Amino acid sequence: MSDFEALAGRRPDLQVDLVEQLRTTVERANDLLAALESSFQPSETAIPSAGTRIRELEHRLATAESDVKELASRLVESEHQSGRLMSLYVATYQLHASLSPAEVQETIAEIAIDLLGAQRFVLLLRREDADDCEIALRQGFSGEDGSSHWAAERYAGGDPMVDATLSDGLLRLGPTEQSAALAAVPLRVQNDIVGAIVLLRLLDHKPILRPEDRDLLDLLSAHAASALFAARLFAAKDRKLRTLESLVKLARGA
Amino acid sequence: MATESVDRSWIGYRIARGRAVQPHKVLVVDDSKLMRKMYEVMLRQYPLVYAADGREALGKLAEHADIDLILLDINMPNMSGLEFLAAMRDGRESSAPRVVIISTEGREEDTARGLEAGADAYISKPFRTEDILDVIARLEGVGSAE
Repeated sequence: MSDFEALAGRRPDLQVDLVEQLRTTVERANDLLAALESSFQPSETAIPSAGTRIRELEHRLATAESDVKELASRLVESEHQSGRLMSLYVATYQLHASLSPAEVQETIAEIAIDLLGAQRFVLLLRREDADDCEIALRQGFSGEDGSSHWAAERYAGGDPMVDATLSDGLLRLGPTEQSAALAAVPLRVQNDIVGAIVLLRLLDHKPILRPEDRDLLDLLSAHAASALFAARLFAAKDRKLRTLESLVKLARGA
Repeated sequence: MATESVDRSWIGYRIARGRAVQPHKVLVVDDSKLMRKMYEVMLRQYPLVYAADGREALGKLAEHADIDLILLDINMPNMSGLEFLAAMRDGRESSAPRVVIISTEGREEDTARGLEAGADAYISKPFRTEDILDVIARLEGVGSAE
């Protein structure tokens, strides 16, 4: 017989107390177990919550990456646009930077070659009191490849696209079935069509005219003739002025 | 008008480098007034020195020791771009500035000829602003990695 049984035999009231305490302890253990189980349930639901959070972060990351791509694309576009405006500004600036007809013609040629990539082109200017045009500038022709239209000092017509542009003042792009010209650009002074720039061939490494080239062609149409005519007018007036000054000097000397 | 695709692979590099892509002084060698004005507007963040031909460029090079990038045309009076390149490489082999040829001669054999003559890069005219900026960024990147 153990000490406990001997004690319980002597003290029955103690036995009842012990049983009661044991019951209380078991109930408490059950409560704790229930509490543990209930605390375990929320952690199970927390796993899907973390997954949701990860998905949300992934979505935000994807959105940020997409925004960066769009911003880079817009930056490229804005750089491109600023480059186009720069070319237009420089071309306009340089066309009106000189009152020497030779320098203005040189600028027209530089715009055609360096900015448009033209390898062969002509500048036509209508002659006063005549139906034909003077070929004021001819670039990129070698002995064997000049078309009959552009070989002489004057252009009297013959290329349908160029003739139409000289007639109605509309910029035309080719080549067409009737014309080998890549572009016929009318030259305007106010509302008069005073000539045309005819692009006949591009540089080998520039196979096509790009969309931004259209802006430069329009600029040439609006500015080249006025710059050239202003320079020619100034040169003529300057020549007359010098002649008059020489006459005055002669008269005073006499 | 048709369009053509343009390589934009260096734009990210330029954005990342920001102001670090900065040559000390750029020598522009071109006889075209239009192109000189174009470079002035396009590269306004860089100090520029101008020469109208190869001979004048050699003089500018002797005058400005801090020139570290040259934008060089090929077809020029008095001394062509390739002649200038040969003369410059003879005189300053170790500390020669980087050279970018910018020319209307854009065929593959022209590019090869320019690079064989000692140029670091070749751009065909007509070009876009970003083409030049990308090449400057690339050369700066190569210089930094060396």
